[in-house]
Amino acid sequence: MSVTLIELAARRTVLLDGALGTELMARGLPQGACPEAWNVERPEVVREIHAAYFAAGSDAVSTNSFGGSRVKLGGHGLGARTAELNAAAARLARAEAPAGKFVAGSMGPTGKFLKPQGEFTEEEFEAAYAEQAAALAEGGADVLLIETQYDLREALCALRGARRATSLPVLATMTYNAVPRGYFTLMGDPVARCLQELGREGAAAVGANCTLNSEQMAGLVAVMRSETVLPLIAQANAGKPVLGPGGAVTYSQGLEDYVRFVPEIVRGGANIVGGCCGTSPAYIKAMAESLFRSRT
Amino acid sequence: MNQDTLYAEMRKAIVDGDGAAAGRLAGQAVRAGLDLLGVIENGYVPGLQRVGELWEQGEYFLPELISSAEAMKAAMAVLEPELQRSQLQARSGGKVVIGTVEGDIHDIGKNLVAAMLQAGGFEVFDLGADVKLERFLERAEAVGADFICLSALLTTTMANQRRLVEMLKQKDVRAKYRVLVGGAPATQKWADEIGADGYAENAVAAVKLAKRLGPARR
Repeated sequence: MSVTLIELAARRTVLLDGALGTELMARGLPQGACPEAWNVERPEVVREIHAAYFAAGSDAVSTNSFGGSRVKLGGHGLGARTAELNAAAARLARAEAPAGKFVAGSMGPTGKFLKPQGEFTEEEFEAAYAEQAAALAEGGADVLLIETQYDLREALCALRGARRATSLPVLATMTYNAVPRGYFTLMGDPVARCLQELGREGAAAVGANCTLNSEQMAGLVAVMRSETVLPLIAQANAGKPVLGPGGAVTYSQGLEDYVRFVPEIVRGGANIVGGCCGTSPAYIKAMAESLFRSRT
Repeated sequence: MNQDTLYAEMRKAIVDGDGAAAGRLAGQAVRAGLDLLGVIENGYVPGLQRVGELWEQGEYFLPELISSAEAMKAAMAVLEPELQRSQLQARSGGKVVIGTVEGDIHDIGKNLVAAMLQAGGFEVFDLGADVKLERFLERAEAVGADFICLSALLTTTMANQRRLVEMLKQKDVRAKYRVLVGGAPATQKWADEIGADGYAENAVAAVKLAKRLGPARR
């Protein structure tokens, strides 16, 4: 029996991939189009990106299904194709994964709120995530990655849904803002509560992604490490997006500056690291080299 | 209850996001025949200001902001019919047409800005998400808007903020409107670059900005 991603994370730092949406756009995904639709319409493009991340050194890539819940796909009029698009997402990543490498089924937020701020019930969210998780599992995901969650209640719905629908290990990352009192989600959930409740609900690994750059993430990792014994995930943004002349998007934290904080993120206790918005296969390659140096 | 105590209770109702109390206190003010414009300015608005401070200090988050905006709405629902009856109008900050630009279905931030602007005394026309640029202008012309507020969460759709400013110039109506931009990828630099009138990082800052700028001069 080969090692699982969680077992690997206990032995050495596991490297995830970087941004997917911007890579799709760089390859022609039109503005406003549904990225998940390309799992069926342009599968070769999605596969090419996964291949690039594996080649750069990723131990696992996340599937092109971040916005793949029925609730989110519904915004594009694609809710009825939820199972198809998610299963396809997992199959494309699976097809590019070399032996011993992993496919993480990405599940991002619905973009809607639970009552009382929004219209949805916890049962509805849980069902939406369960449906997505089942399709990702069917397509061949090794683990599920609930990510970029800004509401702990929604993240817990996702976790319950995923665990109800599949037997796969479920990883969960929240996205935190740095405020004067510390790190909090948009909804005001503090780090300690998120880690504890996600752990209690059965997450196999927990952590943070998006919003913060790699320097800020290093600070957050140290805080998170003191609050949980679970494997810790950290995927920072490359700073903030900057729109250049001609509409080209760059990110404020360049590759070298971004990677400079990787050793600190690992020393601080992160077991599973990767990139988020603004990162690319080049960032992941540089992270792989940094991790390799620190290992030897 | 004397007037100062009533004002303090009103302020507290907004800070606590207690819509039931905010509405009940507004009813008391009506029955006592108080100056209702004074009630808004001295009772409720200071509560909103406090909420803004608590948000900026990282004490309040999105749920608290929404509750407070809802509490303000509950108070205004009681006060506005009474004001109309006495031929008065609550001091309006101006009319705002707001939406998320076309190609972008993200509306969390936009909804929050709309709610806070409304609570802050602006008349808000929320066009929703994925709004065609022409639609912003049509609606703004139709309602006689003072502000056009554009949200974009994606780096690919924020270019539509620039396009709207250009469209206003082409149609020679740029000077009629204050154009405010927001959303995760937007910055003050971006606002300057595209010739918008302002940028706000969050909903609380957006209300301050709109109040500071005031309506465009016609």
